[in-house]
Amino acid sequence: MAAFASVISPVCALVLGPLLLALINRTKAFVAGRRGPPLLQPYFDIAKYLRRGAVYGDATSWVFRLGPVVNLTVLFAALLIVPWGAIRSPLSFSGDLIVVAGLLAVGRFAIVLAALDTGSSFEGMGASREVHFAALAEPALLLALAVLARVTGALSLTPIYQGITASAWVAALPTLALAAMTLLVLALVENSRIPVDDPTTHLELTMIHEVMVLDHSGPDLGYIHYAAALKLWILGGLLVGLVMPLRSGALWLDGSAMLLGMAILAVVIGMIESAMARYRLVHVPQFIVGAATLSVVGFILILV
Amino acid sequence: MLAEQSILLMLAVAVAGAALCLSLPRPRQVLTTIVAVSAVEMAFAINIWAAVLAGPGSVTAAEQWFYIDAFSAFHIVVLVLVFLLSSAFAGVYFTSEAAHGFMISVARRFGALWLGSLAAMLLVLMSNNLGIMWVGMEATTLLSAFLISLYPTRLSLEAMWKYLIICSIGIAFAFMGTLLAAASIQSGGIVEADALLWTHLASPEAHLDPILMKFAFVFVLVGYGTKAGLAPIHSWLPDAHSQAPAPVSAMFSGFLLNTALYCVMRFVPPAQHALGPNFANGLLIVFGTLSILVAAGFIVFQRDAKRLLAYHSVEHMGIITLGYGLGPLGAFAALFHTLNHSVCKSLAFFAVGRLGQRFGSHEMHTISGALRADHLWGIALLVSLLALIGVAPFSIFMSEYQLLRAAAGTGAWLALALFLIASGVVFVSALRHLIDMAFGDPKAHEPPAREGKLAVPIVVLAVGLLLVLGLWMPLSLSQAIASAAAVLAG
Amino acid sequence: MFALLETVHALGLLSCFALLGTSRIGACIRWLSFQGILFGLVPLIVHQGGLGWRAALLAGGNIALKGIGFPLLLLRLRARAETNREVEPFVSFVMSILFGIFALGLSVWLTSELKPALHQAPFVMLDSSIFLILVGLFLIISRRNALMQVIGYLVLENGIFVFGVITVVGTPLLVELGVLLDAFVGVFVMGIAIYHINREFGSIEVDRLSALKG
Repeated sequence: MAAFASVISPVCALVLGPLLLALINRTKAFVAGRRGPPLLQPYFDIAKYLRRGAVYGDATSWVFRLGPVVNLTVLFAALLIVPWGAIRSPLSFSGDLIVVAGLLAVGRFAIVLAALDTGSSFEGMGASREVHFAALAEPALLLALAVLARVTGALSLTPIYQGITASAWVAALPTLALAAMTLLVLALVENSRIPVDDPTTHLELTMIHEVMVLDHSGPDLGYIHYAAALKLWILGGLLVGLVMPLRSGALWLDGSAMLLGMAILAVVIGMIESAMARYRLVHVPQFIVGAATLSVVGFILILV
Repeated sequence: MLAEQSILLMLAVAVAGAALCLSLPRPRQVLTTIVAVSAVEMAFAINIWAAVLAGPGSVTAAEQWFYIDAFSAFHIVVLVLVFLLSSAFAGVYFTSEAAHGFMISVARRFGALWLGSLAAMLLVLMSNNLGIMWVGMEATTLLSAFLISLYPTRLSLEAMWKYLIICSIGIAFAFMGTLLAAASIQSGGIVEADALLWTHLASPEAHLDPILMKFAFVFVLVGYGTKAGLAPIHSWLPDAHSQAPAPVSAMFSGFLLNTALYCVMRFVPPAQHALGPNFANGLLIVFGTLSILVAAGFIVFQRDAKRLLAYHSVEHMGIITLGYGLGPLGAFAALFHTLNHSVCKSLAFFAVGRLGQRFGSHEMHTISGALRADHLWGIALLVSLLALIGVAPFSIFMSEYQLLRAAAGTGAWLALALFLIASGVVFVSALRHLIDMAFGDPKAHEPPAREGKLAVPIVVLAVGLLLVLGLWMPLSLSQAIASAAAVLAG
Repeated sequence: MFALLETVHALGLLSCFALLGTSRIGACIRWLSFQGILFGLVPLIVHQGGLGWRAALLAGGNIALKGIGFPLLLLRLRARAETNREVEPFVSFVMSILFGIFALGLSVWLTSELKPALHQAPFVMLDSSIFLILVGLFLIISRRNALMQVIGYLVLENGIFVFGVITVVGTPLLVELGVLLDAFVGVFVMGIAIYHINREFGSIEVDRLSALKG
């Protein structure tokens, strides 16, 4: 039973990850008064990419081919560590929250290297922006997780998320609320959503993440899209697990609560994307530093 | 007449005068009104002073809201004296203000703000409640801000903005200090119904919390010190003094700074009860010496006569602060110096203001040969600047000499040495400026304009005071100052 | 009461960081209004025991002035001066936020130093007041827009107000009213000054006020 419980979270992620993207798109379409693509569209897209052959430029080397694979692999690894709300993860050890942050960084590193490997100025520009923002986002993520660790007194993600109960919320309301706000901002930043980046943009100069992967095609592009869905799932799971403090112990109850929470999150992100414009690039660091500040304030509040 | 009624009447007259100025139809009437009000206030002030000195040492009114002892009575008399001189000079100055004119709208604004500032400063000096004292101090800032930009030019607006912002911060700090002082009495055991009363706070029976009192005094010193122009938080002062019209500069330099320093000194007795004498005195000596040194450094490089006088104010506020830090003998010297400096600095600003009008600029190289070009104000400039740098027959020399004796008596050798060095620097550099201004070739060729009737009496009175007090100190004045200094000793 | 104060504390910190990181003056004024209302409530929370008419009057006066009056005045001034956003201030917005974190640490340290002497004052409010004072000072020094300097001054005032409410119980009403009146007149005077500066210089960027030196 325990073994079954622990594989639920990775399996759900692998299966339902792309659905999250579809839900966001549907929300945006709904707000804009359109019908929007079918819910299974991301799956169709990924399947289509996987069937196609890949085209590689003359200037690229093995680094370019390796990038998407490494990225997807490390996200698989991260899925094994990250719990899904009350549902424990297959792997749990002291300090695993730092490993998760590290794995996300390795994935980004691989994609950035692949982008630089093309030698194209657009990709290089995107890589530079991505790294610039990541340098600010990573401390923010670590700070938010540190706040959670401090509140619950645990050093591993599964016990931390087990410890975030309704009573923990009552005891440390401002702190947890601030950490949740940080995680929400990070979910937007890390997944290149509006107001930081626009996943639907068509102008290279304004892109951040999308411009990095312009040269990828076929299965590589499929991997990248799938990895993006998984990343959104991971960060979304961290956020939903925090703001949904239901720890009943009953697997089906916790699981369906989390599913509902993820759906709500997708709708919220869709609403944010519909309501806000993208920030000018110079204001993005401000936005991320502000998010990190929220966690610092939360941390100091819990120390006081 | 009873002293208690005088206290209330003084405030009432100042406020009523301010209101009256708003409704007068002619500029000349406004100028006459402010002189008349100042003269009436002088009578009240002397009456109160006499009552305080003759009686039990203090007068209270309005159920302890007002409290005047020898220390505040002395300050009130100096304040009203400066106001009387400056009001009379305002008549002389504004009637010959050709550059901007003196419209009735400007005159009304000037008169109301002028007497309003007087009322606010009186409130500061009279109130027993440290909170009300703070309110009065803040009111002086807000009222006098518009006096700086009486003529809203670019430069005067800049000076006014700096004055407003810097002094508002300073005043906010002072309020923090006042709150801390009030809190210190409570955590000392007695929960007072009214912890802000100075008479409660300064009585030896009050048990004050030393930590809070320490913070409180530092906040008060920095906060009111900003307004008093102590270095290194004096940066607003040269701008404001140089851009304001001359009578306003005289009032600022002559007494507004002293009012702020008065507020600091009100916190010294409680600080001494809670922390022993060394803490407060040490801080006063440090800030005083620093101000003297900084001002001396800036005086060397000044080109504008009013800015020169402004830095002289920083220097002299430093000297007075240093004196307060040197114990009872020093406090006596500091109080005497307050009187001398107020009279002398007012006279200096009058002279520079009038000469500036005649020569068309306050730049020192344009004011040249003042003695030959304009006998009256040339003499006033010469005497006041000589007195300011401490030349012998004038009274500032006497008070500085007493201060040196006090420093030697308490063994503050470092402060003494630094004071002497800085005075030397000031003496040489100011004398160089003065010789050009007074004895150079006159550049103004047209004959002097007709002065107002009061010009000669102002100069004679001020010069006479400086000279007489330098040569002979009346026994009654010396006793009055001694009893004022005794208030600070607790 | 403690949970309430903690919430006020957290929201207050949030408003300060928003002021430090926001370039739009209108948004800053709205945050200031929020902060004024928030800290205007403190007397009601702290003096729960005897929720007298005095605490109510103090809170009401503060909310009316700092929550509504001043923001309206500032918004009017902004409309007249036609500046919508602050051009990059002397200290960039990101650095300002980092300063905020530093100031928060400093205020916590100072509070723990002062706390033994002020045992009846709640820790979080003491911390709030010191933090507000630091942030207010920083805003005054680091911003080139005159309106932002006034906002900084009001943040400083908020801090001192909170400090007064939690440390001093025996202040006479007259003094409190005098203090409020002074704040009112102060902002009014600054408003008139800004009006004149705008008319004379055609801008309210105070780095143009740099003719007087030495």
